[in-house]
Amino acid sequence: MASSTFTPTQLGRLWRLYAGMDLLYIARGPGVAFTYYLAELVIGAAAATATFLLAARFDGIGAWSRPQILFLLGYAMLVRMLVTVFFSYNLAHISRRIGRGQLDHLLIQPQPLWAALVTEGFAPVSGSSMLAPAAFLLIWSGQQLDMTPSAAWWALFVVDVLASVVIVQSFEYAWGSVAFWAPRAAEEINSHSWDMLQTLIPFPLDGLSGLALTSLLTIVPAGLIAWYPTRVLLGVAPVSWVEAAALPAAALLFATFAAWTFTRGLRHYGRTGSSRYLEYGHRR
Amino acid sequence: MLRPRLPDNAYLKTASMAAAATTDHPGFLLTYALRLLRVLVLLALWRYVLVDRVNSGPLSLAGVLTYTLIAEVFAEQLNVRTSLNLAFWEGTLVIRFLRPMGLVRQLSAEMVGPWCIDFVLFSLPLLAMAPLLGVDPRPVSPGLGALFVVSLALAILVGLAMELITGAVIVGLDQPVWLIEWIRTAIALLLSGALLPLAYYPWGLGELFAWLPFAAMAWAPLAIYTAAGNPLTLLASQLVWLAVLWPFGVWLWDANREKLVSHGG
Repeated sequence: MASSTFTPTQLGRLWRLYAGMDLLYIARGPGVAFTYYLAELVIGAAAATATFLLAARFDGIGAWSRPQILFLLGYAMLVRMLVTVFFSYNLAHISRRIGRGQLDHLLIQPQPLWAALVTEGFAPVSGSSMLAPAAFLLIWSGQQLDMTPSAAWWALFVVDVLASVVIVQSFEYAWGSVAFWAPRAAEEINSHSWDMLQTLIPFPLDGLSGLALTSLLTIVPAGLIAWYPTRVLLGVAPVSWVEAAALPAAALLFATFAAWTFTRGLRHYGRTGSSRYLEYGHRR
Repeated sequence: MLRPRLPDNAYLKTASMAAAATTDHPGFLLTYALRLLRVLVLLALWRYVLVDRVNSGPLSLAGVLTYTLIAEVFAEQLNVRTSLNLAFWEGTLVIRFLRPMGLVRQLSAEMVGPWCIDFVLFSLPLLAMAPLLGVDPRPVSPGLGALFVVSLALAILVGLAMELITGAVIVGLDQPVWLIEWIRTAIALLLSGALLPLAYYPWGLGELFAWLPFAAMAWAPLAIYTAAGNPLTLLASQLVWLAVLWPFGVWLWDANREKLVSHGG
C-alpha cells in the first residue's frame, strides 16, 4: 500500500479517468444505457413515492406541509444520487469488495488506499439519473415555500448534504468491515445495511417515541440523512445553532468510528489475507 | 425407541436444507432489524397522520395499524421470491434441471423452508408484541380470518407466476438479473399495497392499482383481513390473475428455456 502524498490534481485526474470508463460502460449500447439509467431512476423514485403519496393524500404529514415533504424527498434523493455518483461499483457496498478478495486489487495499486476508495467508484454517467428529479423537487418545493435562501443557508445546505453523504458511507463502512473477519458470511452485509437506510430515510420521524427515534439517530442513523437536516434547513421545529451544528459533528463521529473499525479490519486482513486466494479458494 | 421422522420426500428435504442455510450468514438478523424498524416507523407515521383524520378513509386508525402489522408479519408471503435469481446469477439452474424434481416445485420448496425460520424468529414474536405496539392483530371477524388464509394462498400462487414471468423476461431480453429484480421490487412495493393500503392512495390511484396483478399479491389478502374491501371481489380478482398469469408464465418460460440452456444454465 502506497503512503505517499496525493495531490488534488492526481485526484482530479483519476476522477476524469473513471468518468470516462463509466461512460464507456454505459455506452455499450442503447439497451444497456436505458436499463441502467431507468433502473436507478425507478428504484430511487419508488423509495420516495410512498411518502409522497401520503403527503398528497393528506396535504402534508403532521407538522410537515406538502412542499416541506417534497423538499425532504428531494434532499433524500440528492444524497442518494451523490453516494451513487461517487461510490458506485461496490464502493458503497465495501463488504462485497472485501468478501470477494477484491480489496487486493486496490492494495496493489501505486496509490494510497483512501485515494482508490474515493475515486474508483466515480460514476457520473450511470449514477446521475436521480439528479433531475432531485433538483426538480428541491427547486419546486423551494418555490412553494417562498424560500429566499441567504448565503448562510446555502452554506448550511452544502455542509449538511456532505455530512449526510459521510454518514451513509460511514454506516456502510462500519458494517462492511465485518467482512474482514467473516468474508463469506458478511460479503452481502452492506446490501442489508443499505436497504435498512434507504427504506427508512424518506419518512418524517416526528411521531416516533423516544427509544425508536434515538435508535434512528444513532444505531441506524436514517434520521440523520434527510429528516434531521431538512427539519433544520426548513425550520420545521425551532432551531438553534447547536442543532444546526449537530449534523456535521455527528458525521465526524460516524466517520471516526468507521475509520477505526475499517483500520482494525484492515490490520486483521493484513495478517490473514483473503481465503479466495488460498489453495481451495476459487480465485486460484 | 421410535423417533418421529419426516416423510422421505425430496421437496421436504429441499425445504429443510434451504431453511438450515438461512442462518449461514448474519444478514438475516439485519433484515429482521430492518423489518422491525420499518414497522415501528410506519405505525408511528400512521398515528401521526391519522390522529386528526379518523374518518378520512375506508379504515379506522386501528384498522390501518392492523393492516401495517399484518403486512410485515406476512411480508415474505406477500412478496414472493424464490432462489431463481440467485440460480441465474450463480449459473446453478442447470443443476436444478438435472434433479428428478419439477423446477417450480423445487424453487417453491427452497422458498418455503426459510419461511419457517422467518415465521418462528420474526413473525410470531412480532405478533406477540403487537399489544405492546398498541395494535390489535386479530382479523375483523373469524370468517374474514379464514378467507384471509385462502387469499394468502392465492397471493403466493400469483407471486410464483410473477416470479416465473420475470425470470423468463430476464433470460428473453438478456438483462442483468439484479437490475430487473430491483426494479420489480421497487414497483411491486408501491403497486401491491404491501407498504401502504391502496385505499389511501390519492387521485384514485388506489382504485386503478387494485386492478393490477400486484394488488392480487398483497392488497387482496390484507384488505380481506381488515375488511377494507369486498372479499368476494378480491378473491375473484386473484382467481382471474391466476388464470391469466400461470398459462402465460409457463408459455413464456418454455419459450426462453432453450436460450437459457444454451447459455449453460
